Amino acid sequence: MQQTSARGGALRALAPLAWVGPAVALIAVVVVWPVVVMVQSSFLKISRFGVVQGGNGTGNYDKLFGEPDFGGVMARSLVWVVAVVALTVLVSLALAQLFNQRFPGRRFARWALIAPWAASVLMTSIIFKWMLDPEVGLINMLRRDLGLLDALGGAAADPLGSAAGAMPWLVFVAVFVSVPFTTYALLAGLSAIPADVYEAAKIDGASKLRTYWSITLPLLRPALTVAALINVMNVFNSFPIIWAMTHGQPGYSTATSTIFMYILKGSDIGESAAMSVVNFGMVIVLTIVFLKVSKWRTAPA
Amino acid sequence: MNKRLVGALTLGLSAALVMTGCGSTQSGSDGGDKASGGDVTLKLVAADYGDGPTADNSGEKFWKGVVDGFQKANPGIKVDVQVINWNDIDKQVATMVQNGQVPDILQTGDYSGFVKDGLLYKTDEVLSASTSADLLPKFADFGKVDGVGYGIPFVSSARALFYNKDLFTKAGIAEPPKTWDELKAAAEKLKKAGVSQPFGLPLGNEEAQAESFLWFMGNGGGYKDSSGAWAVDSAANVEAFQYLKGLVDAGLTTPNPGTKNRKDVWADFAAGKVGMVNGGPMSIPIFEKGGLTNFGVAPIAGKTAALDTTLGVEDWIMAFNKNGHQEQIKKFFDYFYSGDAAQKISDTYKLLPVTKSGIEKLSSDEKLKPFLDALPNATFYPFQDPKWSEVNTQVKQTIGGAVGGDPKAVLGAIQKVATAG
Repeated sequence: MQQTSARGGALRALAPLAWVGPAVALIAVVVVWPVVVMVQSSFLKISRFGVVQGGNGTGNYDKLFGEPDFGGVMARSLVWVVAVVALTVLVSLALAQLFNQRFPGRRFARWALIAPWAASVLMTSIIFKWMLDPEVGLINMLRRDLGLLDALGGAAADPLGSAAGAMPWLVFVAVFVSVPFTTYALLAGLSAIPADVYEAAKIDGASKLRTYWSITLPLLRPALTVAALINVMNVFNSFPIIWAMTHGQPGYSTATSTIFMYILKGSDIGESAAMSVVNFGMVIVLTIVFLKVSKWRTAPA
Repeated sequence: MNKRLVGALTLGLSAALVMTGCGSTQSGSDGGDKASGGDVTLKLVAADYGDGPTADNSGEKFWKGVVDGFQKANPGIKVDVQVINWNDIDKQVATMVQNGQVPDILQTGDYSGFVKDGLLYKTDEVLSASTSADLLPKFADFGKVDGVGYGIPFVSSARALFYNKDLFTKAGIAEPPKTWDELKAAAEKLKKAGVSQPFGLPLGNEEAQAESFLWFMGNGGGYKDSSGAWAVDSAANVEAFQYLKGLVDAGLTTPNPGTKNRKDVWADFAAGKVGMVNGGPMSIPIFEKGGLTNFGVAPIAGKTAALDTTLGVEDWIMAFNKNGHQEQIKKFFDYFYSGDAAQKISDTYKLLPVTKSGIEKLSSDEKLKPFLDALPNATFYPFQDPKWSEVNTQVKQTIGGAVGGDPKAVLGAIQKVATAG
C-alpha cells in the first residue's frame, strides 16, 4: 500500500515530462546533436568523400589559424556585422517613427515595406547582382544615362569586381533585407508606449528631440534590444547575399567567416568544421557582449 | 496519468527508432540474385548529363534506350538503372558503399576513391580486348592506379578557342590568333572596333582552374612539372599570368576576371559582347541558344604557336566486384562500347568520345574538329593526386587575384597549399 503510493508520487513528479519531453527531445535532436557532431568533426580527419579517417587532434584548428586569410576574414566579419546592424537599426528607427505617424496611404506604405522581407534573400541578391552587371546591369545603364559612367562593359561599370566597390553594395543589400523586420519590431515597440507619457512631456514643455531622447528611446529599449540582437546573429551567419553576389571574391577579399567555412568544405571538411566551431563561439561571444553593452538584465520587462 | 506517460515514452521511442531506421530502409533486395540459370539483375547507377528527370534529354531516357537494346540482345540479364544528379551522386554512392549495397556498375566523375578499398574489378576483367584496344590510350592511362586499370573512360570533354566571326570581320581580323602576340593584336583591333570585352576571361570560382590551366599550357607550364612535382608557381606559369595581367590592364578582357564566371562570360559571348573566349563542345548549344551562330572554333593560342594539346576532362564507368556479376558486366560494357550508345551520348549532350572509333564517327563535324584533333593528346588535371581537391579549391578562389596583383605571389601561395604537409 505504502509502496504503491510512493510509486504514484514518483510518477506524478515525472508527469510534466509528457509535455516538456517532446520539446526537449526536439531541441536535443535538432539543436544539441548537430552542435555535438560539429565539435566532434572538428577534431577528426575526414576524407573529401566524407569518410572519417581517424582523429586529427587539434590539427584542423592549427591549419585553420595558419590560413593566411583567416585574420582578414574574421576582422571583415566583425566589420560586416557592426556596419549592417548599425545601419539597419538607424534606418529602421527613422522608418518606424515615420510609419507611426498618421498620414494618407500609411497602410499601403506599411505593406510595401514588407516586400523586401517577403522576397527570398537569395533572389534579392541575384537581382542586385544583375542590376550591377557590367554589360547589361540596370543600375549601370542608369549611371551611364546620368553621365556618371563612360561606357558599359569596363572595370568602371563593375562595382562587384573589387572589394572596395563590392563591400558597400553587399552592406546595402544586407540592410535592405534586414530593415523590414527591424522596422516592424520597433513599430510594435512604439505602439506599446502609452500616450499619457507623451502628454505629460508636452505639459512639461519638452522639445520634440528631448521627448524622443528621454521618452521614446528608453521605452523602446526592449524592442530595440531584441531586434538588434536577432539582427546580429542573422547578419553574422548571413550567407546568401555575399555568396550570390561575389562568392567572397576577388580572392577572399569579400568573404566573411560563414563564406570561408563553406569554401573550406570543398577542400577539407575537418577544417571547415573547425571554422564552424569558431563561428559558433563568435556568435555566442557577440551575443554576450551585446547583451552586456545593452544592459539586458536591467531593461524593464 | 500512468497511461499517458507510457504513451509519451512509446511515442518518443518509436520516433527515435524511425530516425535511426532512416539510414537502412533500403535493405533487403540486395544487388539481385545470383542463382545459376536464373535471371541476373545488374544494378547500374549513373550520373545525369541532362537537365533533370523531366527533361527530354534526361539520363533516365538515355539509359532506358541503351538498356532496352541490351536486354533484347541478352535475354537472361536485366539492368536496373538509377540515375542521380551530379550534386548528389557522390554522397549517395558513398552511402551505398557504407551500407554494403554497392551497384554492379557505376558511372560518375571519379573512380579513384574506390580502388584503395578493393571494391572494383580491374579493367581487363570486365572489358574485352577489342574494346580495350579501341580506347584512347592517354585516356585509359588515367584510369590506372599503380599501373593497373580500374576506371574505364566513359565520355570526355575538351577546350578550344571560340571567336565571333562577325566581330572579327568588323575589326578586320583575317583569322583566329595562334600566338599570344597575335591574340593581343587581335584584341586591340576588337577594342578599337568597339567590342567591350575583346577576350572573355573567366577566372572566378566556377572554373578558374580550367582557364588558368589553358594559359599555363600555352607557355609549356602546368600544375605539375614533368617529374610530377607540384609547380604552380613555375617561371612558365608566372609568365603566363604576367601576360594575362598585361591584357587585363590594357582593358582587353572581361573586367575584374577574378570575379567572373564562365557561365556569365559565355552568355556575354552569345550576346555578341565578347570577341574570343575559350570554351568546350558543351558551350556550342549555349551560344546557339543565345542567338549566336556565326562563330568559329580554333585551337587555343599559345605563346609561340597554337596548342597541339588541350584540357581534357573525362568521366568514368566502373564495375564493382561485390556481387560477382563479372560476365554479365563484361557483356554490358561490350554492348555499350561497340554499339551506337557512345555516339548517342555525344549527340545528345555534346560530350566527346573516348574511343578511336568514336572520334572517327564524329570527324565530319566542322565545329567539333578542333576538339577531336587535340583530344588524343589531351592534358588532364592532376586529379589523382590527393592534394588536388585542396589545390583546386584554392585555385578557384584566389588565382583570379594574380591578374590584379602580383602573379608570382598569388601562384606562390597556391604552390604552398599544394606542397604543405
